[in-house]
Amino acid sequence: MSALVATRAPLGRQLRSELRWILRRPRTVIGLASLCLVPILAGVGLWFAVDGDGPAGPGLAAIIAGNGLVLPVFTLFLALPLLLPLVGAIWAADGLAGEAQHGTLRGLMISPVGRIRLLGIKAFGVATMSLVAVTLIAFVGAITGVVLFGGEGMLTLSGSTLSLGEALGRIVLTILLVTVQVWGVAAIAMAISACTEHPLVVMAATMAGVIVFAVLGAFSALDWLHPYLITSAWQGLVDVMRDPLPTEELWRSTALAGCYIVIGMSLAAMRLVTKDN
Amino acid sequence: MNRRRVTVVAAAVGVIAGATGLGVLAMPAGAGPAPVLPDVSAEALVESVLNAKPAAFGGSVAVNNDLGIPVIAGVPQLSDGASTLRMWTDGEGKLRAQLPGGDSERTFVDDGETAWLWDSAEQTVTKMPHGSFEERKPELKPGEQQAAPADPVTLSRQVVAAVQEYSDVTVDGTARVANRPVYELVLTPKPTEKTVLREVRVAVDSELRVPLRVAVLTNGTDAPAVQVGFSELNVGPQDASLFSFTPPAGAKVSEPESHEPTAEDKAAAEKAITEANPQVIGEGWDTVLAARVPQDALTFLAEGQQGEQRGNGRWQEEGEGREVDVQGLLRQLGKPLSGAWGSGTLITTRVGGVLIADDGRVAVGAVPEQVLVDAIGQVK
Repeated sequence: MSALVATRAPLGRQLRSELRWILRRPRTVIGLASLCLVPILAGVGLWFAVDGDGPAGPGLAAIIAGNGLVLPVFTLFLALPLLLPLVGAIWAADGLAGEAQHGTLRGLMISPVGRIRLLGIKAFGVATMSLVAVTLIAFVGAITGVVLFGGEGMLTLSGSTLSLGEALGRIVLTILLVTVQVWGVAAIAMAISACTEHPLVVMAATMAGVIVFAVLGAFSALDWLHPYLITSAWQGLVDVMRDPLPTEELWRSTALAGCYIVIGMSLAAMRLVTKDN
Repeated sequence: MNRRRVTVVAAAVGVIAGATGLGVLAMPAGAGPAPVLPDVSAEALVESVLNAKPAAFGGSVAVNNDLGIPVIAGVPQLSDGASTLRMWTDGEGKLRAQLPGGDSERTFVDDGETAWLWDSAEQTVTKMPHGSFEERKPELKPGEQQAAPADPVTLSRQVVAAVQEYSDVTVDGTARVANRPVYELVLTPKPTEKTVLREVRVAVDSELRVPLRVAVLTNGTDAPAVQVGFSELNVGPQDASLFSFTPPAGAKVSEPESHEPTAEDKAAAEKAITEANPQVIGEGWDTVLAARVPQDALTFLAEGQQGEQRGNGRWQEEGEGREVDVQGLLRQLGKPLSGAWGSGTLITTRVGGVLIADDGRVAVGAVPEQVLVDAIGQVK
């Protein structure tokens, strides 16, 4: 093996080629384009709701009138329980199980690239694409929100108004926090992806897991279990819209997702190195 | 092959590390070892608390409610569970408190001249200029202000003496609350007291002499029935911008009408009080408050509660003239009880009980069932 080290391709080129490989698939482009529709649909829906009497809805929807920069945050929290885990699972499923299905994973495994490095490159592709998807939703959401609702600053849940710079900072923070949560789900999906050669199994298992977690989170009798569930931390992310920013829950949810990433990637690595080509 | 084994072992370690991390995150934060503080007597501690100057601080207050108030479908109540309150004060009367609830928030800001209450779910701001409400309070309870001695030292002696008549007041070592060293002041009912409460623990900051945590413990369990305490506390000057509030554009600003209580209002209140005939039975920890609630008031209360619930549920229909089965509502909450005193419903929580007789007599206290029954028998 050591003789092969010198022939390894530069890491940067490998990462670039992985991204190019994902982005060149038509379904990726179509998928990203349809993700852009989510904030537009949410914005239009809220626009009609705002016209009526009283608040447009519960939670963040209540403060959206004249407060367009809330829309990206609202849309991300809307997409986090189901849509974004699905997006993460799709990237993860394509990464290993999809390659295995097409028989191309075998070629990658016998190529002179370490399997851990292979996993790292695949994980990089999944992580980058998750970030791209989340950022895209937030970007389209911000544009849609400002067009439909206007607003120069951002009204927080606490009733104070943030300046434009602070508001953009909050949106970027939301993007990062939500992306880390998607990574947590995608890491588990990577572990499943390493065990199967059917991408559909990966997506079905991941989504089933997310739904089961959400159901478990709904039973108060199981409250001892809730701190372990990644889905239970998502509700607390709305703290990002409070002022002054309470960081405790945000750190906790990020650390929780970090644990899922470590577990998922370790399991994936364990499976990949023991896989017979 | 050896390298593969190393990778597998490393990955296994990763899985274990991740799982451990989950466990660590799920564990409540440890309080750390109890700090070593100079000894203080209970009297001196109470005295210093009453003497303490208000300090500027900001922090989070965690409320853990395990009162065991029975649940009735659809009626809002103090639900069991944990909630957090964030608050800031500059120590000179300005205050900001935020009550996050799910994905909404209520903010209360008192900037020294005006108090503001913001509700994000309804997008409303309630403006309460100072002076519109304070004047009414003393009138309701005349004489209370004058009765209190101005000297805090005398006051603290009186407080401790009054409390010691029925309870043992001790300083039970030290602890840490919100990462600050505290003295634990414990009030234990004397063995002769017939109460369901076991003890009340008050954690007093060793430096500021401000209570940082209050816990009420009941017989039979280790977990407090109610615990209110700081989970985070930053002492020191707070950002002045926290104590100002500008109603956001688009929010409905309402100013509740302030009116002096008219003679009719006063007469009505007096009549209600005379009718209710509130009385205190027993003393110390077994104090039972008893009263006679007119039947129509009970019905009115239940209707009001249901009406409010309608409003919350966005059912716009008006609920006037509806028949409300008060006794039926009560029976859902408690258990029926009858005896020589009559019959009624007993609602028990972990910190006491309420006995409501069918004829409107009510007895409330932090006492077991038998004491409530004895008390209601004495209501005229």
